[in-house]
Amino acid sequence: MTSVPEKPNAKGKLYASVQSALEGISDGASVLVAGYAGRGVPETLLRGLAEIGVGDLTLVCQGAWAQEPGKFGISDLVATGQVKKMVSPLPFHPEYGGPVKDLWESGELELEVVLQGVLAERLRAGGAGIGGVFLPTGARTRFAEGKELRPFDGKEHVLEFALKADIALLRAKTADTLGNMVYDGTGRNWNPIMAMAAALTVAEVDDVFEPGGIDPEMVITQAIFIDRLVLAA
Amino acid sequence: MPGTPLDADAMAHRAAQEMFSGAVVALGPGLPCRLPDRLPIGGVWFLADSGVVGVRGMDTNTSAVDAEGDSVALIFGGAFTGLVEIAGILRGGHTDIAVLQPAQVAANGDFVHWTTAATNGLFAPGSAVDMAYGASKVVALMPHRNADGSSTIAGECSLPVDGAGQVDIIITDVAVINVGQDGLELVETAPGWTADEVVAMTDAPLAVSSDLKEMTFQVPTLEIPDKVYASAVEALKDVPEGAIINVDGFAGPGGMAHYLMVGLRDLGVKGLQLISNTAGVARVSGFGAPNIIDHSILVENNQVAKATASYPVSPSASRPSAFEKAYNRGETELEVVPQGTLAERLRCGGAGVAAFYTPTGAGTLLAEGKEARTINGKDYILETGLRADFCIIRGHKADTLGNVVYKGTSRNFNPVMATTAKITVVEVDEIVEPGQLGPEEIVTPGLFVDRIVVRPADFSAYL
Repeated sequence: MTSVPEKPNAKGKLYASVQSALEGISDGASVLVAGYAGRGVPETLLRGLAEIGVGDLTLVCQGAWAQEPGKFGISDLVATGQVKKMVSPLPFHPEYGGPVKDLWESGELELEVVLQGVLAERLRAGGAGIGGVFLPTGARTRFAEGKELRPFDGKEHVLEFALKADIALLRAKTADTLGNMVYDGTGRNWNPIMAMAAALTVAEVDDVFEPGGIDPEMVITQAIFIDRLVLAA
Repeated sequence: MPGTPLDADAMAHRAAQEMFSGAVVALGPGLPCRLPDRLPIGGVWFLADSGVVGVRGMDTNTSAVDAEGDSVALIFGGAFTGLVEIAGILRGGHTDIAVLQPAQVAANGDFVHWTTAATNGLFAPGSAVDMAYGASKVVALMPHRNADGSSTIAGECSLPVDGAGQVDIIITDVAVINVGQDGLELVETAPGWTADEVVAMTDAPLAVSSDLKEMTFQVPTLEIPDKVYASAVEALKDVPEGAIINVDGFAGPGGMAHYLMVGLRDLGVKGLQLISNTAGVARVSGFGAPNIIDHSILVENNQVAKATASYPVSPSASRPSAFEKAYNRGETELEVVPQGTLAERLRCGGAGVAAFYTPTGAGTLLAEGKEARTINGKDYILETGLRADFCIIRGHKADTLGNVVYKGTSRNFNPVMATTAKITVVEVDEIVEPGQLGPEEIVTPGLFVDRIVVRPADFSAYL
């Protein structure tokens, strides 16, 4: 890393409050939420969504892990009743269950289960301007039902279409005021790909530096993909 | 009396016998996730679908988790990736072995992953299905019986199938069973267990191998093969005539594997089909160093049969490139592809995406002969993934495991090309030890790289 300023700078895309960073989100919005097993989860922004109280949301995310005291995750947001539908490869842990399972069973929450790699590819297609992709994954199973099939090199492939959303909620380690971001370990997960696939992207970070504070070789998400930043609570 | 079922350690040790030096091994949740802890081995790339290449095992307070959500450490030379890169590693032919713990496996290799009675009607496949469809070999590592005593192996799955015909071998706590064209074959039993006992507790037709053995638990000694080669010629001497070769070559300054190009020239192998952004314009444009070395040295040596490129001509009509001259003489073929489409075709080839709809070129000459499709009111054309036999790339530094970092815009096509070839050869300014390139900075994980050579500082000997 090149030398970094000691103090975060509150300019550029950095918003003063979570409320202001989430302004414009309305009922019925589709929301990409990054995170995998508690890492790289935009907790501050999820809390903010709960406080704003917008409803009928469609969440696209890895899924809900167990609720933990003092933490705020997908389970907690779903428990508020603001979520209409969840698109996820692991909607809930089979043993833990929790609010997602409860609300799904009572018919208050719709679940669409997707394959992790297929979801990644659909988001990538959405972010990279690709209309659709032919993938081998899930051929001859329920994951291919109702979808167009085509053989390539003698192997059946499934047509999957691009996925985009209204907003992406992201979590990075640090950003500069322009919005360039780096992550911490497996906290990277869905973040870079979701950053490309939404009309509005909001990221929470531990620190915000001046431009130049992040080595260009280390940047994972380029500033052009990020609209708003907030500091993690 | 039947013997005691094997414990998880013994099952892990038997599973290790399916691995080989340098193998890429994807780990599903459950027992597979804990393999790195139970196996005192290096020498393979354990993948976590959370975005880790090179899991070492559980550790406290690390910045990584695995598919179980447990905190894990990386090997020296491990790297972090995002989930789309992991999906590509799983699907794109880069994963040798997937180890999964299905809830149920059928006689034809179908499996059910995490669906249980408690989640009936729903399912939580995670990336188990990606692993199963992508890996060369799928190992089901699971208890032979459920807690209620019922068999986990069935003639047909009783719950919705997550992967059709994907499982190759089943390792349980009492037996090893091969899944073949003709159904299940019992090939090994655990110590103290007879074939009859295993057959009796299996709820599927199970043939007993004439070569039935007792399971052993010797963990193999594995090492990631040495990837450092003495010279470009040594690293490329098995390139066959007519090989398809990816070579970066954005234009000139940096990014181009000059030393490996010289090696190809000196080997003299003919009929090469180059996939590259340009077909060699550095020399006529006079940029880069050494600008005398570009694709032209191969063209002039009559080694190039075809180029697939987005910028095949010289920027100056009065100074045509060697490739243009050869093309005009009818000596080479040319396929022109827009730059972004070339990048996407390479990315798809490397990530196991057979084909994709791109808007670029729709309604133009570039769309001729291709399927056109309107999706949500926008016109697209269908393009297919590209793969190569060899790839020659230029990095800045590599470690001996093959992890690569680049410098500035010399990164360009190199990382994507590295994912698309059967054999990837990289030339670098410097080779370092594993661990000297950090997991957050590695751009090309070592599993993509087969051979490494050091690029000379001075090319005067090669001109």
